[in-house]
Amino acid sequence: MSIQETQAPVLVVRDLVRRFGDLTAVDGVSFAIARGETFGLLGPNGAGKTTTISMVAGLIPADAGTVTVGGEQMSPRSVAPKRLIGLVPQDLAIYPELTARENLTFFGRLQGIGGAALKSRVEEVLSLIGLGERAKEATKNFSGGMKRRLNIGIGLLHQPELLILDEPTVGVDPQSRNSILESVEALSGEGMAVLYTTHYMEEAERLCDRIAIIDSGTVQAEGTRDELIRLTGGVDHIRLEGSGDTAAAATLLRELPAVQAVDADRHSLVLTVRDAPTAVAGIVNGATNAGMSLADVQISRPDLESVFLHLTGKALRD
Amino acid sequence: MTRALAIAGVELRRFLKDRSNIFFVFIFPLLLVVVIGAQFGGGGSTGRVAVAAEDSTLRTAVVEVLEDDGLTVTFADAEGVREQVARGRTDAGVFIDAAAATAYTAGEGVRLEVVPSSQSQSQATMQRIRTAAEAVRVEQAQVVVLTERGVPADDAQTALEAARESVAGPTLRVESVNEIQQEFSGLGQFDLGASSQLLLFVFLSSLAGSVTLIQARRQGVIARTLAAPVSTAQALGGQALGRFVIALFQGSYIMGATALLFGVDWGNIWLSLTVLTVFSTVAAGAAMLVGALMDNEGAASGVGIGAGLVLAALGGCMMPLEFFPDTMRTIANITPHAWAYEAFAEIQRQEGTLADILPQLGVLLGMALVLLALGTWALRRSLVRSM
Repeated sequence: MSIQETQAPVLVVRDLVRRFGDLTAVDGVSFAIARGETFGLLGPNGAGKTTTISMVAGLIPADAGTVTVGGEQMSPRSVAPKRLIGLVPQDLAIYPELTARENLTFFGRLQGIGGAALKSRVEEVLSLIGLGERAKEATKNFSGGMKRRLNIGIGLLHQPELLILDEPTVGVDPQSRNSILESVEALSGEGMAVLYTTHYMEEAERLCDRIAIIDSGTVQAEGTRDELIRLTGGVDHIRLEGSGDTAAAATLLRELPAVQAVDADRHSLVLTVRDAPTAVAGIVNGATNAGMSLADVQISRPDLESVFLHLTGKALRD
Repeated sequence: MTRALAIAGVELRRFLKDRSNIFFVFIFPLLLVVVIGAQFGGGGSTGRVAVAAEDSTLRTAVVEVLEDDGLTVTFADAEGVREQVARGRTDAGVFIDAAAATAYTAGEGVRLEVVPSSQSQSQATMQRIRTAAEAVRVEQAQVVVLTERGVPADDAQTALEAARESVAGPTLRVESVNEIQQEFSGLGQFDLGASSQLLLFVFLSSLAGSVTLIQARRQGVIARTLAAPVSTAQALGGQALGRFVIALFQGSYIMGATALLFGVDWGNIWLSLTVLTVFSTVAAGAAMLVGALMDNEGAASGVGIGAGLVLAALGGCMMPLEFFPDTMRTIANITPHAWAYEAFAEIQRQEGTLADILPQLGVLLGMALVLLALGTWALRRSLVRSM
């Protein structure tokens, strides 16, 4: 696995290994994240995402390999590199008896912020996560989405250079989920590096500049969404359904430059094409000119689910 | 240190925010101090007598002598006096009927009915009532003799009073040779209950508070703490400090509230606070250990309360150590409560100095260090395993 270091990376992970007894949970994981970049670790439950994050955040030691944050080596004993990280764990790591403001104030103190600066920053974060009006309420009364937002807010308090989000939308309603994703997009836009783990393909596709597909503790592939999709061959499929002379239509459509292959039966055609959105208009015209009366047109493009299936032979949510 | 203090502060805040603690931390200990004081406290008085009698010369004479002797005299009807005696609210009851009052006025012999209570002080009070009755009888006999010799009754009374003031009569001093009675002599009604309940509740609150440590571990808050620029030593130290602050808060509250509300005498307050501080450290270590070794909050709560009550019972917080048979007294020494109980006894009853309580402080410090070391080790181990 090569490490892309086109600009000074905030995080560099090299050949990380972690074993639990006979089980190798993380096996040679490497990647790097630059400022303003959102990097996704996409994989099913048990793939090694949280273990990787635990080593990156300095919660557990690595058996081999290194983690460097802002140029400083990370380990459980490190203090300085931890200042650069904001960890948003998968669990709701907040005190339910305390109010949102008290939780933020406590974790702010742990980050070394104090006095007026802490007070002002707490109010900023409360406003950012939309909990300003519920700041005095014990968090045990909050909805799941509100707790998730507070969980994220705690990670943002000290304005870290690297924000680590471990499956932040698990168990969240669609509205809160969308709000969380928008927040992550905004933070990335402000120049924060984000390490985002998820087993939701749609989230990785929406948020991440680059994605590492991880399974059984190893990175199976890494790159942008398009780079990963090219691993599957990068072709789209267009399915035409209708009546008329499908054989004649198939013959005609095979001649189009975008079309690589056509499978036909009595009522439908399935075309293998490059760049389906661009090609679809010509294909529909061609089929109509060949005498087909179309009832339905479907485009299917390869996604990260297809990539995962292609790489591991199993579905992402198995 | 600031971060450890922040962790300790948040633990205290969580403790105070728990509504169930309003009763168990603030009200229940004081209720028990009152109950124990009412049942077993000596009352701190020099003797209590309840008198059932209509107003008469005899009643006036008897009460005057009793009060001159320093006894506290209260009045009630015959049934009320019997109830006070039965419930131990007075050391003895004196019953003066109308016939006795009339006979006394006539200068005849009188029999008083006196009923002692089961209180330890009642026999001494009984003796003082006999002495008072004898004094009244002698004075009445003197008045009768003088009036028979032609001295008007009022003049005879005045002459006798003048004679009493000019001649110092014999005084009666009752001294108990009972060791246990001597041990508790001078203690206020609530003093013993206050110190024993302080020990019970400091330990109980700490062990029950170990549940919050389990919650913090389970909710991932401690892990999140370790992801901040906080060293493991600071995180663990903060948790230990949090348990200590809770224990110290509970103890200081009981100390202050009982002193203010019940006038409990804690002896040399600095020495008492020293004992409380060291005992709170032991309790903090025990709470760390329970909170680190157990993963289930319900089980930890049960174990905490059970262990807290058993150790308190063994350590003299439910029955004074002085009443223990020798074997049990020896066994009690395995509990920190017994050592702290002895230290408080030394300070409250014997006006003990720091040198007097050094052995107890030494043992308590040893227990604290062992428990804190074990608790810290166990918590560190459980954190590593959970991540």
